[in-house]
Amino acid sequence: MALLEVQDLEIAVRTKGKLLPVVQGVSFDVDDNETLGIVGESGCGKSLTALAIMGLLGGTTVRITGGNIRFDGMDLLTLSDGERRSIMGNRMAMIFQEPMTSLNPVYRIGDQIIENIRQHQKMTNAQARDRAVELLSLVRIPNPSERVDSFPHQMSGGQRQRVMIAMALSCDPKLLIADEPTTALDVTVQKEVLDLMADLQTRMGTAIVLISHDLGVISETCDKVAVMYRGRVVEAAATENLFTELAHPYTRGLLNSIPVVDSDVDWLEAIPGRVPTLEEELTGCAFHPRCALVTKLCATTVPQEIEYKPGHSVRCHFSGKVAP
Amino acid sequence: MNTLIFFQTAFAGRRLATLGFLWLVMITVAALAAPLIAPFDPLEIDPVGRLAEPGWPNLFGTDHFGRDTFSRAVYGARMTVIIGTGSVAVALLAGGLIGMISAYFTRLGHFLMRCVDVLMAFPALLMALALITLLERSVFNTILVIGIVYATTTARILYGMTLKLRGEVFVDAAVCSGAGHFSILFRHILPNLVSPLLVQASFIFAFAQLQAAALDFLGLGLPPEVPSWGNMLSEERIYVTRAPWLLIYPGMLIVLSVFSMNLVGDALRDSIDPRFKDDIAGV
Repeated sequence: MALLEVQDLEIAVRTKGKLLPVVQGVSFDVDDNETLGIVGESGCGKSLTALAIMGLLGGTTVRITGGNIRFDGMDLLTLSDGERRSIMGNRMAMIFQEPMTSLNPVYRIGDQIIENIRQHQKMTNAQARDRAVELLSLVRIPNPSERVDSFPHQMSGGQRQRVMIAMALSCDPKLLIADEPTTALDVTVQKEVLDLMADLQTRMGTAIVLISHDLGVISETCDKVAVMYRGRVVEAAATENLFTELAHPYTRGLLNSIPVVDSDVDWLEAIPGRVPTLEEELTGCAFHPRCALVTKLCATTVPQEIEYKPGHSVRCHFSGKVAP
Repeated sequence: MNTLIFFQTAFAGRRLATLGFLWLVMITVAALAAPLIAPFDPLEIDPVGRLAEPGWPNLFGTDHFGRDTFSRAVYGARMTVIIGTGSVAVALLAGGLIGMISAYFTRLGHFLMRCVDVLMAFPALLMALALITLLERSVFNTILVIGIVYATTTARILYGMTLKLRGEVFVDAAVCSGAGHFSILFRHILPNLVSPLLVQASFIFAFAQLQAAALDFLGLGLPPEVPSWGNMLSEERIYVTRAPWLLIYPGMLIVLSVFSMNLVGDALRDSIDPRFKDDIAGV
């Protein structure tokens, strides 16, 4: 049994009295020491999936309407508040997209890490502080014994993201969910943060769910990839298979739109159109208005998930015909 | 140390606000050391020396019972500070709790905030009058009533701010780290509200004085034997032609104090919220 199992997850948004599905039938699982990448454009439901796993969809407007999420054998959706709190930050942790706002501006970073540690482990303040310093040096913050007393505004974005990682790792979580952890950072810092996460994974055997819209990041760090489009996983495969024998036109489009540094082209390819908004009623395959291979069938029938190759599933009527 | 720097920047280049701050310090000193400063017992009656003009030894003259107006004014400062601090405490505690809880638990919040809306529909003085008629005249009840009146606006302001903070990523991050509702509200959100609370406190302090003086004047505030500036105005108003100093001194004290508190409040607000900066040059 995998560490994290998501099965047929359904999330809906309530607007003007109607329930609009934003995530439909999403399933995946992640094992120890494994990295799953979830990729897709903005508005595809990647972040919502992550928030659902972390139990942050508490509001009345966005809610989980079906499916189940199991972590280490426990059903996360039926846990009591107290049980959930004892897991959060302890055995599973999350890194957010915005390093500039994800630390509380009025507390020293050390105190924030210490609070997280002491929430879950019996430690004295001094012990927790030593652990915080150790964590800060682990994430390569220079001068950790001094920086532990810094306020968030005294640190750069990259440093803050590393503090967030330190905090997420403070209780040696089994599962780390990283929602676009590098999007707000510049490229060099991006690489450092990703290397750091990979390094920590080999050291502690943490399972990572990495959400990104950057296929480059995904290809370098993930063992397997799920491509999401408008609330569905349209293609899922091991990373090396996805890039060599991709079967969905959307994945093709995403790959084509990556600029290649050493090729001499002056026209960057893009997928025409945009992700349809929630209000737009769509029949058939959600991607058909933007797809090059579209036929009448695509506009009327939702493609079922098929096993394209062992361990490689895809939702497309013409999965074999996409140029790899 | 941080507080000191904060005050330094808040009052830098604001001469009037600095004067106001000094005036408030004087009032506080007078309130704390009233028995040492006041030359006479504020309640001691002297029928022979009634309605004496300002001079020596009665600096501000005497009232129609022959009580020393200066001593009464000094003890009145004590009431000013007590009423101000008490009302601020009640308003911030009640209003703050209602506002924060409403923003955090939205369903309950809808109900609570509509109640606050209804209360806000009444003019402040009218509501204070309505409440005080239900209660006995006492220092505590005056504080309570004024506090409740200003709890509504405080609740409103904190509701909005908490709503905004609740959507911040660091709050989500706190939830993710396993923090409970109590910890999120009071350990993660509340410290971020300290500066608006401080500003709100300074304004409530000023408004509470006016409100208390108005209630005293109408005979519904502090008990008549308590020396307060509002009571002095109220009791001596029939002597306005024969002994105007009985009204001028307490009246001036109220005006000066409220003005000072507003200046200090403005200075604090501007230093916290830069959008209002240089509204009135030099003030």
